[in-house]
Amino acid sequence: MDLYPFFDWLDTSMLADISKAYGGVFAVVQMFHLLGMSMLGGMVLVGDLRLLNVLLKDVPSEQVIENTQKWFTVALIVVMTSGIFMSSAVAMKLYYNQMFWAKMTSLALGVTFVYAIRRPLLKFNHDTIDPWTIKLLAVTSISIWFTVAASGRWIGFS
Amino acid sequence: MLNELLLTFAQWLDTHQWSTDIHESIYMYSWIEATHVLTLMIFLGMLCVIDLRMLGAIFPNVPASKIAERLDKPMIIGFVVMLITGFLLFYAIPVRSTQSIWFRIKVVLLILAGINAFMFRAKMQASSGTWDLDPIPPKRIRIGAIASLVLWAGVVITGRTIAYDWFDCHKQLPEFMYWAAGCVNELAALEP
Repeated sequence: MDLYPFFDWLDTSMLADISKAYGGVFAVVQMFHLLGMSMLGGMVLVGDLRLLNVLLKDVPSEQVIENTQKWFTVALIVVMTSGIFMSSAVAMKLYYNQMFWAKMTSLALGVTFVYAIRRPLLKFNHDTIDPWTIKLLAVTSISIWFTVAASGRWIGFS
Repeated sequence: MLNELLLTFAQWLDTHQWSTDIHESIYMYSWIEATHVLTLMIFLGMLCVIDLRMLGAIFPNVPASKIAERLDKPMIIGFVVMLITGFLLFYAIPVRSTQSIWFRIKVVLLILAGINAFMFRAKMQASSGTWDLDPIPPKRIRIGAIASLVLWAGVVITGRTIAYDWFDCHKQLPEFMYWAAGCVNELAALEP
């Protein structure tokens, strides 16, 4: 599916008018993007490091996952909303940027992984899940979200 | 006087070959900057969880002191990495950074965030026995948590805006801005 029409529309949308004309607004939105990314990373790390038995060992892992999942969703909404606004400033440039597509692919993979695999699986009592499955889940999660953040940063350098 | 001293220091750093090497390298500067930004997820991520607990917004059934103590170590590790990479980024472009209004505000906010963290920790240790298990901590603790989040948000935005040249010394700026940014030569040129 070619998304060119979407990027073409975004490039001439009202969002693009604002993001291109007002550097200050762009910088503030970018701040929310970075703060959202920090919160998302924090929730992923606290949850997954608990699953790996590294952090908060004396708090039940079910409780840690339940608490971090809620704020993960909040952070994801902040990151995606601010990300769309930021993309509008350079929509056509991004369309032709390979690193941007690497980020989008890993983001889609991350969202699918969280809501279709990690969350449904971790709804069960963690004692009933094979420990290696839990560890694999945590390592996969950290790897995916690290890739999302790293490829996002690298867009600026490519 | 202070501006002259800071500029002299920055110019001295600028004469170092390593400073030039980092600045002119194809990938090294990008790697350092990427590490600096990505470590935000460790440092600020942990800080977010601690501050949200202090606001009663997360882990209401876990003692606040337990969350703070357990996440302290990864948070400090993240902070140390950010400090080292942050210094290297400054070292690579010392003169422009020294004369950046955003960098200066960032340093002030960092100091304020440090003072707030120190006071916050002292307040927490002194009184945690009385509210540690409360789902929502007392007002003074919540105010400290909000101050922490606001100050670090300020550090993030000023850190990001260092890249913009809106108030660089070569631009036409009001005299106050030249002073605040430490534009020594431009200020000297304005003197009668």
